[in-house]
Amino acid sequence: MKITELLFFFMLFTSVNPAQTKDFDFSSPINIKKFADFLFCDRDYLRAALEYERLISSEVKDTLLFKIALSYSIIGDYPFAIKYFGKIPYSSSYINEAQLELIKTHYLMNDYYGVRSFYNNSFIKEANKYQLEGNKLFNFSYLFTKDELPSKEKFLSPFNLSEKDEISEYYDWKQDPLYKSSTIAGIMSAIIPGSGKMYVGEIGDGIVAFITTTVFSFIAYDNFKAGHNTRGWIWAGVAALFYGGNIYGSVAAAQVHNAKITFEFNDGLNVFLQKNNYYTPAYGFCDEK
Amino acid sequence: MVIKIFFFSILIFTVSGLSQTDWVRWEKVEYSYEKPNRFRQRDYSFDTESASGFIAKSAVNTYWYFFSELDGDNCPYSPSCSAFFVQSAKETNIFQGTLMFFDRFTRDYNIYKRYEHYPRVKDGHYYDPVSLYTLDEDKIEYIPPSVLIKK
Repeated sequence: MKITELLFFFMLFTSVNPAQTKDFDFSSPINIKKFADFLFCDRDYLRAALEYERLISSEVKDTLLFKIALSYSIIGDYPFAIKYFGKIPYSSSYINEAQLELIKTHYLMNDYYGVRSFYNNSFIKEANKYQLEGNKLFNFSYLFTKDELPSKEKFLSPFNLSEKDEISEYYDWKQDPLYKSSTIAGIMSAIIPGSGKMYVGEIGDGIVAFITTTVFSFIAYDNFKAGHNTRGWIWAGVAALFYGGNIYGSVAAAQVHNAKITFEFNDGLNVFLQKNNYYTPAYGFCDEK
Repeated sequence: MVIKIFFFSILIFTVSGLSQTDWVRWEKVEYSYEKPNRFRQRDYSFDTESASGFIAKSAVNTYWYFFSELDGDNCPYSPSCSAFFVQSAKETNIFQGTLMFFDRFTRDYNIYKRYEHYPRVKDGHYYDPVSLYTLDEDKIEYIPPSVLIKK
C-alpha cells in the first residue's frame, strides 16, 4: 500500500514540477521569434505577423518586416502588406523581393493601374535580379484593362519561349475580343423580335420573345379586323411593350454577354498568374535545415 | 486498497463533474422544417421619393394584394418580377423600368437551360439583379452560375 502511495506522489510531483518552470522567459525576443517562426511555418499567418510585430519595437530586421508583410499578403490584408513591404529599405537584401511582392499585392487587389504606377515610379529596373519578372507583370497588367496594348513584339519580349504561345493567345484575344455588338443585337430584334437575343446566344429567350410579340400582335390584329377597336388597342399596347422590352433586353443581353466574356478571360489570366505564383520566387523560410 | 479506491473515486468524480456543464446540456430543440414565406413579408409602403417609384410601387402593391398573395411564391427569380419592376423604375425611370420589366417577363417564360445562365440564391431562386440591365456597363457585375449567392 505504501508503495502505491509513494508511486502516486512521485508521479504527481514529477508531472507538476517541470510544467511550473518560472525561469523560462516566454517573452524573450529569441523565444518570441521562435514561436513566430513556428506559427509562420504552421501557416498561422495572422498570429505569426502579430508575434513578429512584437519584435519590431525591440529590433528592426528586414527579414522580420518581410515576413510580416508576406503574412499579411497571404491572409489578404493587402493595405498592411503594402505598408510593411514599403518599409523595407533600399539597402536591404530583400528589396528586390519586396518590390516584386508589392506588384503581386497590387494584382491581388485588382489594382492594375497601381501595378503600372509602381513599376514606372518605384521599381528598380537596373541591378535587380527580378527585373524580367517585374517587366512581365507590368506588361501583363495591360491585359486586364481597357487601355491600348503595346506592340506585340514589345509585349512578348520579357516572356520565355515556353510562355510566349499562351501569352500570344491572350494578346490576340485582347486585341480582338469575342464581344457581341449591342447595337447589332438591338437592330436585329427591331427587325425580327427575338433575333437579337439569339445573336448573343440566348436562344431560349429569343424564341420566347418572338412568340410573345407575335401572339399579342396577332391578337391585336384579329381584334381590329373584327371591329373591336378598344380591345385591339389594348392588345396592341401589350404587344408594343413586349416588342420594346425585347429590343431593350437584346441590347442589355449583349452587354451581359460581353461582361461574361471579360470575366472568363480575366479568370483565365488569374489562373495563369496563380500557376506561376505571380513570378515571385520560393523563399524557403520553412525548408528543413 | 482503500486509498486506491479513494483516489480513483476522486478522479472519476472530478472528471465527470467538470464534464457536466449545465449551460450546454443536450436537449430537444424546436425546429421548423417549413419553407420560409419570403413573399408574405412584403413592404406595402409607397415610395414618395420619385414619381417613377411611386407609380411602379402603386401598380405592384395592387398586383401583390389582388393576385400574388393568392397565387403564391411562383416567380423563379430573385428579386421577383414585381420587385424587379419597382427596383428598376427607382433606379432608372418609369419608361426604362417598364421595358426592363417586360424583358424580365419574357425571360421568366423561358425554361430552357436557365441553370446555365443564372447563379442560385440559397433559397433556390435564380439571381437576376436589376444592375445587370440598366445599360450602364460599369454597373454590370457578372456572377458565374456556379456561385451560390448568400443573402
